[in-house]
Amino acid sequence: MRCHHPVRPLIAIALVVAALAVPAAIDITLPNAKDSLKIAIIGDSGTGDSAQYDVAKQLIASHEKFPYEFVLMMGDNLYGGSAPKDFNKKFETPYKPLLDSGMKFYATLGNHDNPNERMYKSFNMGEKRFYTFKPKGNVRFFSLDSNYMDKPQLEWLEKELAASGSDWKIAFFHHPIYSSGGTHGSDLQLREQLEPLFLKYGVDAVFSGHEHFYERIKPQKGIYYFISGGAGKVRKGDVGKTNLTAKAFDTGYHFMLVEFSKDAMHFQAISDEGKTIDSGTLPRFSDADKKKLSTATE
Amino acid sequence: MTRFLTALAFATVAHASTVAAQKPATNPHAAVLADFKARVDKYVELRKKADDSAPPLKKTDDPAKIRDAQQALVERIGAARAGTKQGDIFTPEITEHFRRLLHPEMKEAGTKAAMKDDQPKPGTVTFKVNGPYPDKEPLGTVPPNVLASLPPLPKDVDYRFVGKHLILRDVRANMIIDYIPNAIS
Repeated sequence: MRCHHPVRPLIAIALVVAALAVPAAIDITLPNAKDSLKIAIIGDSGTGDSAQYDVAKQLIASHEKFPYEFVLMMGDNLYGGSAPKDFNKKFETPYKPLLDSGMKFYATLGNHDNPNERMYKSFNMGEKRFYTFKPKGNVRFFSLDSNYMDKPQLEWLEKELAASGSDWKIAFFHHPIYSSGGTHGSDLQLREQLEPLFLKYGVDAVFSGHEHFYERIKPQKGIYYFISGGAGKVRKGDVGKTNLTAKAFDTGYHFMLVEFSKDAMHFQAISDEGKTIDSGTLPRFSDADKKKLSTATE
Repeated sequence: MTRFLTALAFATVAHASTVAAQKPATNPHAAVLADFKARVDKYVELRKKADDSAPPLKKTDDPAKIRDAQQALVERIGAARAGTKQGDIFTPEITEHFRRLLHPEMKEAGTKAAMKDDQPKPGTVTFKVNGPYPDKEPLGTVPPNVLASLPPLPKDVDYRFVGKHLILRDVRANMIIDYIPNAIS
């Protein structure tokens, strides 16, 4: 005989209602240009608790004003297991309105993710631990598996970067190679492997998670670095005093909106309360500038 | 007579030296590495057979199908490897060689710290050949310099550390193939 738990459906309904509740209006500071590429970014989101749902509400609400085309996920997409109920509670339910509208999510693997998540169609990983895609215009994305940076992946990355021509090159992966986090900090071993390739092939910007806060790093050798790992968890007061930080936020949850035009990247980081915590415009460095900056010490 | 014996002795030594010089130089560890590769290849061949009879683990929008395919693969591999024990891949010679390879990497600044980052909770991993890696626990990150020091692996087989112990893991089955206790100090 099947036994139906009376509370479960109520919890599910409450979560859906919470996800659909309309939050306060968000003030979008981005240009919102007609032909630009617009994206959203969430990191370390998959807890399934109320904080994830609060951020999801803001993410959904922001789409009304800023019609981003897809969402990048910075890893730790599902904490605490990858059973069907985890996919439901930690991904399908909080982002249901977006998924129902056909929104694409592109995931990268975090250390809390079962690598078999690459088989999950809605994560758009193409069954691969690392992959690249070019949605439209002149922007190409590279999703890396920073948990396991082995030789085949490094060789693949070099080949793909070399073939990517003059596109904006945007890398995203879980572990930040520049970070002021007190708990984790910069992953120096990873930096040793990745930074030379980023510099050689002119990567423009890098997005990571892992640290449960927001940090915009001062440009390092001509590359912009962002940490966005607070869409489900926050580690309050974890951003230490370093000379890396351009702007940080570690007192609440957040997500990001990013817009790419031909020569600039516009960004806005928004808290779970809908407040702007950072925003700005970063010019795309020319190849000559990148070359100069790649050898400069900052 | 003495002169003849002396000449003979010199000739023998000279011949031995020439033979030694002509013998191709061999890496003393090559045999150990070749043995490891052969054992891993044998495992991959076995998994391929298990794969052929299991529901495919492929792209789907149904998470239950991912879980079911993973579980079916575990069962088939487990049945095909019944009786396998710790050390069948990591023989004593291979284990010793791995410990030697890993030793210098552990002296690298930051490597140990990076490996401690987000380890599974103590006691949550049961070290059992053909046993599961716990789905609820994080997978410890393996620093690139450590990976570079170890022999390469075929697709969907990886190295992971749990504390000081090294696991050889089937990625798709999320299953422990073999392990080395106290691989690092």
